[in-house]
Amino acid sequence: MLPTTNTRAAAADPRPQPWKKPLGLLLKLALFLYAAFTLYPLYWLIISAFKSNQDFFNRPFGLPAGWQFSNISRAWELGDMGRAMMNSTIVTIASVVLTVVLGTLAAYALSRFAFRASGLVKGLFLLGMLIPIHSTLVPLFIFMNKIGMLDTYWSLILPYTAFELSIAIFLNIAYMQSIPREVEEAAMIDGNGWWGVFGRIIFPLCLPVIATVTILAFLRFWNDFSFALVFINSQALKTLPLSLSLFSDGFGTDYALTMGAMFIAVIPTIVIYLIFQEQIMKGMVAGSVKG
Amino acid sequence: MPTYLRSRSFVALALLPAMLIFIVFAIVPIIWSAYYGFFDWSGLGSLKFIGLDNYEMMLQDPIFWRALKNNLILVASAIIGQVPIALLLALLLLKNSMFNRVIRSAVFMPMVLSTVVVGLIWGYIYQPQIGLLNTVLEMLGLDSWIRAWLSDPKVNMYAVSIPINWANIGPYLVIFIAALQNISSEVNDAAKIDGAVGFRKLFYVTLPNIWDTVIVTIILCISGSLKAFDHVIVMTGGGPAQSTELLATYMYNNSFTVYRYGYGSAVSTMIILISALLIGLNYIITKRRG
Repeated sequence: MLPTTNTRAAAADPRPQPWKKPLGLLLKLALFLYAAFTLYPLYWLIISAFKSNQDFFNRPFGLPAGWQFSNISRAWELGDMGRAMMNSTIVTIASVVLTVVLGTLAAYALSRFAFRASGLVKGLFLLGMLIPIHSTLVPLFIFMNKIGMLDTYWSLILPYTAFELSIAIFLNIAYMQSIPREVEEAAMIDGNGWWGVFGRIIFPLCLPVIATVTILAFLRFWNDFSFALVFINSQALKTLPLSLSLFSDGFGTDYALTMGAMFIAVIPTIVIYLIFQEQIMKGMVAGSVKG
Repeated sequence: MPTYLRSRSFVALALLPAMLIFIVFAIVPIIWSAYYGFFDWSGLGSLKFIGLDNYEMMLQDPIFWRALKNNLILVASAIIGQVPIALLLALLLLKNSMFNRVIRSAVFMPMVLSTVVVGLIWGYIYQPQIGLLNTVLEMLGLDSWIRAWLSDPKVNMYAVSIPINWANIGPYLVIFIAALQNISSEVNDAAKIDGAVGFRKLFYVTLPNIWDTVIVTIILCISGSLKAFDHVIVMTGGGPAQSTELLATYMYNNSFTVYRYGYGSAVSTMIILISALLIGLNYIITKRRG
């Protein structure tokens, strides 16, 4: 440790530091440049989505010579992105609803009732955050093949839910600990059973944490690639990331079309991110530290 | 019905659906994967029990070791690149000012993009003829640096690691900011009185105070590398000639391109064993310190 002496204390006294201001500005500039560098690939994707193929080749860094919306409409129809968007929406909404309802319910049972196996059950769900998802691809594929579940919406909805339940349950348990039990006791006296208490009191009170769970689950399901890659084969059921991954093969050198398709896929996540940044940052970190 | 029975049936009904989905789709597959790992099976026909032969083959396959090495390259690139950049940014963006919030959001942004989009965009950046990187190098007159970034086996694994790091700096930044803001103001005041400023403060006061967090982020880098899959599948598919294969893509390619399900299951089990080992290590380190 540093010795405490009077001279050192004096050195820390505020005194005029003429170099501080320009240095601060320089730092800000550096940070700004770093942020710009981070966002550049995204910016480039967006401007390229509105370029013609020729423009894309000749002036890769410039703004579009004429803003073309045809890439996006062509990707929507020709590239079947409309269909992929619908598949992604169906699968994501169904999995989010299942995750939220089942996760909140299970968290309520685990946080309010002391029963012998509750520690074991919590431990089991904790394991879910630690399992490397890709290591389940082969056995799940074999299992779904056997029961004929491959190539259906369920082949995505059920695994998505299974792997998101852990984080949903633990965020909910943590939140429920802050809800005083008196609220429930009062509701019980008013003649509600456990289901009534859950539906009328607990679920509405948990809405803030449910919002976080919903956003995180949405991002995870909407962006998932590996499950869709292995479990979905038919063209009609392909989700956005899966369709995109095959796009560059199918349309060869029609780069503008691929850019338009990627633009369609990223817009929903960017909008959600711009609205819920703080929650997303905190929630994703909570999930990744535990996982 | 007596109250205790009613609450018992409530607990059972509330837990049952979640547990059922969770056990069938997350826990049971791991057990099966261990089981199928003892068989030779192409997906069709009968399973042939071969004991530990799959594991023996794996340990003798140079591609397996290359995949493991590539995973280690990812870990190293994260520890050398991601962690220090995130820490530096966290130190600079510590205050909750408007400017800092905007920069933080920008740095976090790639995290919410689909991994397929990230892979495809960087695929264009690295494209040998029309890619942005080679175009920039040409404009700067650095023609000798121009290369096929994703197919030259000398550089492609490093090229692949950059987008993965780029996309994942955000969470590390947020973790470090939280840790730095947790340092009590007394510690900072004491440091000020002791005359510790600038780098001296950083090395003698700040870093020792967040050391546990640094360890946690390093462990996250290791476990994160085992999860790396999407970017590589999109950018290179593990090729060319399996030069960018990772453990996860090695498992995928063995199972779904050459249909060796038994062998693929053995690789899956190996990945689970490796991560269990890391989790155990993590547990020991954090328990000893906490």
